[in-house]
Amino acid sequence: MSTRDSILARIRQNRPQATALPDIHAVPFIRYDNPFEAFATLIRNLGGDAVQLAAGQSVADVVAARWPDAGRTVDLTVAGHEEVDDPHAWHDVDVAIVPGQLAVAENATVWVSHPDNHFRSIYFLTQKLVLVVPRDAMVDTMRDAYARIDMAEHGFGAFISGSSRTADIEQSLVMGAHGAMAALVIFV
Amino acid sequence: MKDDSVKHPQAAAEFLKDRAQAKWHDSAIWWVRQKRDAQAKQLPEWEELRRLAREIKAHTLSQLDDYLAQFEANAQKNGVTVHWAADADEHNRIVHDILAARQVKKLVKSKSMLTEECGLNPYLEQRGIEVVDTDLGERIVQLRHEAPSHIVMPAIHLKKEQISELFHKELGTEAGNNDPTYLTHAARANLREHFLTADAGLTGVNFAIAETGGVVVCTNEGNADLGTSLPPIHIASMGLEKIIPKLEHLGVFTRLLARSAIGSPVTTYTSHFHQARPGGEMHIVIVDNGRSDILGNEDFYQSLRCIRCGACMNTCPVYRRSSGFSYSYIIPGPIGSTLGPSRDMKKHGSMAFACSTCGSCSNVCPVKINLHEQLVLHRKKAFDQNLLPTGKKMGLLAMRFLTQHPALFDLGGKVMRKVVPIIPESLTRHSAWSRAGRDLPPMPAQSFKEQYQQRSQNKKDKQDKKDKEEQQ
Repeated sequence: MSTRDSILARIRQNRPQATALPDIHAVPFIRYDNPFEAFATLIRNLGGDAVQLAAGQSVADVVAARWPDAGRTVDLTVAGHEEVDDPHAWHDVDVAIVPGQLAVAENATVWVSHPDNHFRSIYFLTQKLVLVVPRDAMVDTMRDAYARIDMAEHGFGAFISGSSRTADIEQSLVMGAHGAMAALVIFV
Repeated sequence: MKDDSVKHPQAAAEFLKDRAQAKWHDSAIWWVRQKRDAQAKQLPEWEELRRLAREIKAHTLSQLDDYLAQFEANAQKNGVTVHWAADADEHNRIVHDILAARQVKKLVKSKSMLTEECGLNPYLEQRGIEVVDTDLGERIVQLRHEAPSHIVMPAIHLKKEQISELFHKELGTEAGNNDPTYLTHAARANLREHFLTADAGLTGVNFAIAETGGVVVCTNEGNADLGTSLPPIHIASMGLEKIIPKLEHLGVFTRLLARSAIGSPVTTYTSHFHQARPGGEMHIVIVDNGRSDILGNEDFYQSLRCIRCGACMNTCPVYRRSSGFSYSYIIPGPIGSTLGPSRDMKKHGSMAFACSTCGSCSNVCPVKINLHEQLVLHRKKAFDQNLLPTGKKMGLLAMRFLTQHPALFDLGGKVMRKVVPIIPESLTRHSAWSRAGRDLPPMPAQSFKEQYQQRSQNKKDKQDKKDKEEQQ
């Protein structure tokens, strides 16, 4: 018998007593009166920031005002942006502006998933990550978020919350472990 | 690799010799436990989430073979190659075969307790493959040639001065610069080079979704993501208990994991891997290594619900005061103390005795594993299999005799309360109690039983008096 079949056979033989799958939608979860406020307050503790685009303002204006001396900037939210065929080519990106599909109020995460996975590495290689999210694409909790996600669509997706961080040295929180050193969420 | 000849009491005594560091270890970890509590209080549905998580996992284990087969079929549909490993050796062989066939020279690894369990690093290194652990804590213990002392905070046993010295020697950082930000960013620069030049990346798995055939990996550093989006090969090693039925169930587990683990609302990156990066390939190795045997054990199979958050370690008064290195199994603390003896009672039996049965681990466990009850059952097993040191066995037999004869127990207490206060200190200084730097506690005038009886009598007298007054 193959390893696969012998493992499955042993599991079948050792199965614990059958129990039912609970209905995770039957339980009321937390709701936020002002989800943006909850999101923005939380992300500041997680090494990020959140702003709402004012009338007449563009994403590029906000980014330029925040980082006037930015190096290589790649903006995936505009048509005709640059493309590469090797994920390593993003290694010196300073600011990446990427579309975010969904924001979650309870933990200040943004769901990113791109039809072209050549861009996958840019989320993590960039020094500063700007996530652009439609104002109305905000949900309260992760349960609501998963209800809106189609995993089969792109084969890769991530919830990103603030900047990369670690506390592995004496529990001191340090921003900028391997991924982005700073994160900015712009609601448009 | 972990030394499985460790006996908990001796190793803990060794750790406690450096009193200052032991005290720091205790308080650093307790701080994480407090952060966990603060997070739990912010969600009114916290206890409901724990119940749901427990029930989802219990259900999944009861149909694990079906869910694993479903997972495999869906992963294959996504173009992922699925492998099965009966034990650690087979797992290591499969990983090596994949790497060797593609002439991989360098592998970047994200944190995985399973590969520690299997001893993958030395296996690959002996075969000429450079393995770079990329989680900062894991990298630190790798450079020190140590195993992680905690499953979420691998280097929690070290002070920044020790890490500064290590980095000075290994990475050429400034001597004496102990600033955690400086040290972290030095490691960042060094590891980035490794990410950009690696031929393959390996990750663990936090959750595997049967419905979609993909795996989820949670990190704060982004190392799993760099390690899988840059090199062309991604290998994910998963214990077969990591399965959950549907994508929607992640909404329960991703809410519990980081809050329980580090007191944070979520990890920075919660990444869902269903396909290789363009031009690459993705492999998933499903590992048994004793898990299907535990599944068949009525007393202990609940431990397979574990999502490896480490909350039980952070709350455990014994773990905090003895460190992860005093446990023989690769996973320390309460969960390791039930998994270890379930695997091999002879090697890991002493772990189950490193427990005060306070029950705090069971109270914080996000999937409600009855940890302290399992530890008591393991002790019984160790006793029945005659695996205890003679002194401990005799002590337990004496205690059993005493508790079975209440009159003798009372008398013993009475004698102790009279005799202990008049024993000269020179005689007790070398007792097991005093050696650890403790004074003998003052003896109470009455036993608990006497105090309880008196209290009940007082209450009754009061009630009688009240009744009498009302009658008059």
